[in-house]
Amino acid sequence: MSSMQSICLGINYRTTPVELRERLAFAGGKVPQAVEEIRRLPGFAESVVISTCNRVELYAAHSHEHSETAHKALLDYLIQHFQLQPEQAEALVCYCLAAEETARHLFQVVSGLDSMVLGETEIFGQVKQAYKVALGAGTTGRELNRLFQRAFNVGKLVRETTAIQRGSTSVGAVAVDLAGKLFDLKTCRVMLIGAGEMARVCAQSLLSRGAKSVIVSNRSYERAVELAAEFNGTALTFDQWEHSLHEVDIIISSTSAPHFVVKPEMIEKAMHSRRGHYLFLIDIAVPRDIDPAVNDIEDVYLYDIDTLSEIAEEGRRERTRQLTLCNRIIEEQLEKFGRASAYPSSGDAPSHSTP
Amino acid sequence: MDRTLLILATLAFLGGLVHAIVSLRAGTWRENRWHWVPMAVGLVFQTAFLYLRGQQHGRCPLTNLFEVFIFIGWCIVLLYFLVGATYRLSLLGVFTAPMIALLQGLSLLSSLDKSVPLPRGAPNPWLEIHAAVSLMAYAAFALACITGVMYLVQARLLKKHRIHGLFYQLPPIHELAKAIQRLAMLGLLLLSAGLAAAFPLHLPVSNPKLVFAWVVWGMYLAINVIMWARMLSARQIAWLAVVGFMVPLVSLWIVTAA
Repeated sequence: MSSMQSICLGINYRTTPVELRERLAFAGGKVPQAVEEIRRLPGFAESVVISTCNRVELYAAHSHEHSETAHKALLDYLIQHFQLQPEQAEALVCYCLAAEETARHLFQVVSGLDSMVLGETEIFGQVKQAYKVALGAGTTGRELNRLFQRAFNVGKLVRETTAIQRGSTSVGAVAVDLAGKLFDLKTCRVMLIGAGEMARVCAQSLLSRGAKSVIVSNRSYERAVELAAEFNGTALTFDQWEHSLHEVDIIISSTSAPHFVVKPEMIEKAMHSRRGHYLFLIDIAVPRDIDPAVNDIEDVYLYDIDTLSEIAEEGRRERTRQLTLCNRIIEEQLEKFGRASAYPSSGDAPSHSTP
Repeated sequence: MDRTLLILATLAFLGGLVHAIVSLRAGTWRENRWHWVPMAVGLVFQTAFLYLRGQQHGRCPLTNLFEVFIFIGWCIVLLYFLVGATYRLSLLGVFTAPMIALLQGLSLLSSLDKSVPLPRGAPNPWLEIHAAVSLMAYAAFALACITGVMYLVQARLLKKHRIHGLFYQLPPIHELAKAIQRLAMLGLLLLSAGLAAAFPLHLPVSNPKLVFAWVVWGMYLAINVIMWARMLSARQIAWLAVVGFMVPLVSLWIVTAA
C-alpha cells in the first residue's frame, strides 16, 4: 500500500452513444449509495460520482500500488452496478485517468472545455452538486476535497479571464441574447407566425428567460391552439395576426409561404402605435417570410435564419479560439497544484482506453 | 503643485481607458468593481486640485475657464459614480474617461489658466450655489451625451448585425435609453435649481450668462418633453442627447471667455 492517489474512470458523449450513456446514468437519488459503495471497495477511501446526460465519471482516491488495479476495480463496479451483459461490458469504452490527468481533466470539465457545447456553464453547477452529494455522504477526504475545491477555483478563473462563455452557440440562444439587449425580457410579449419547430424552440428559450406571454398564429388553427396551449398563450387565426402586431415586442416567423408574409407597410403601421418601443423580428423561414426592407424602419431590428446561424457559428469559433488560452491557464494552475504533467493537454478529449 | 495633481488625475483616467481598451480587445472585460479604481483615483486628484484652488482663492474655484472645465470634469466623474452604479454601467467609465482626459489635457496645455482679479470681501453664497449647481447640471448633460454615444454604438451594432466584441460588453439599449432620459431630467432639475439660486442676485435680465443659461434650460426642457412624450424614436432621442450637449458646451465657452 502507498499514499492516496486520485483517479478517474468515465464515459462521455465522445466515447459512448446516448443509448449506452442512458443505461449507465446514476439516478439522482442513487448517487449517495453509489459513492458509498465505491468508497468501500478494497483500497479505496474517497469517491465522487458525476452523472449528467453527457457524462458519467467516477472520481476516487485509492491506495493501490498501480492505478491500473484501481481502474479495473472501478470498471468492475460500474459493470456490476448496472448489470451489463458481457457483450455490453466488452463494448464499453472508458477513459481511465491517473492522478495528473485526473486533475487536468476535472479542471477542463468544470471550465466547460470538455462539454458538447464548448464553454457551457451548466456543467460547473452539476459538478458542484455532485461534490456536495459526496460531501454530504461523507465519501470525500483530503485528496478529493483538495482536488475539487481547486477545480472550482480554476473553473471560475478560466471563465472570468477568458471569453470562453461569451456569445451564443445556437440559433435559439442567439435570439434570446439579442432580445435581452433590446428589452427587459420580463415585459416581453412574443408572437409566433407559423408553428415550425425552430420557432417553437426560440419561443421556449424566450419563455424560459422570463418572456411574459406568447401569441401563436398559424394557417392550421388547430395547430396554433395546440402550440399556444403548450406555452400557456393565446391562439389567433391566420387572418388576425396583423391586427396584433403593435401589441408584441418579438415576432418569430416560420411559415412555409413562398412570398413575404410580413411587409414593411404592416410594420410601419404597427410602429406608429408602439410610440418608440422597439420591435424585434426573427425570420426563421426559408424562403424568407419577412421583407428585408423592414430592417430599415426606425427602432425595428430584423434577423433572418442565416444571420442567426452565422452569429452562432462565430460564437462557436470564438470559443474554439479561446481554447489555447484556457488550457494555458489550466496548465499554470496544475503547476501550482503540484500536479504538473509531462504531457501537456492539447485541448482534445481525454485519451480513450480500457484498463 | 496643483497642476501636478491635475496631471496625475489625467494619467489615472488615461490608464483606466488603456486598461479597458486592452480588456475589450482581448474579450476579457467583465463588469466588476476594479474598473472603478482608475476613475476613483482620478476623482481623488481632481478633488485635491479643486480643494487647493479653493483655499488659494478663498471661494469656489470657478474664477476662470480653466477652473470651470476642471470643475465640470469633477462633476462628471462624481455623477458617473452615482449613475454608473445605479445602471450597472461600469463601461460608462470607458466612454467617460477619454472625455475627461481630453477636457483636462486641453485645459492644461492651453493658456486658459490665467489669474483674474477677484472682488474683495466674502463671496456671495447665492452666486457660488448658482455657479456650482449649474455646472453640475452641465455635467449631467455631458453624461447624457456619453450615454447617448453608447446607445448609438449599440443600436448600430444591432441594426447592422455586428454581434461580437463590444456588443457583448455594452449594456442593453433599453437600459441606456432609460439612463439618457433620467440624466437629461436630472440635468434639467439641477439647472432649474441653479437658475433659481440666481434670483436673489438681482442680475439684469440681459446678463449674457443668464441669457445663455435660460437658452440651455429651454432647450433641455424641450428635449425632456420630447423624451417623456415619446415624440421621437429612441435613436433620435439619443442623437438629441449627444448633439444637444454642444449647446451648453459652446455657450459656456463663449460666456466664460467673454
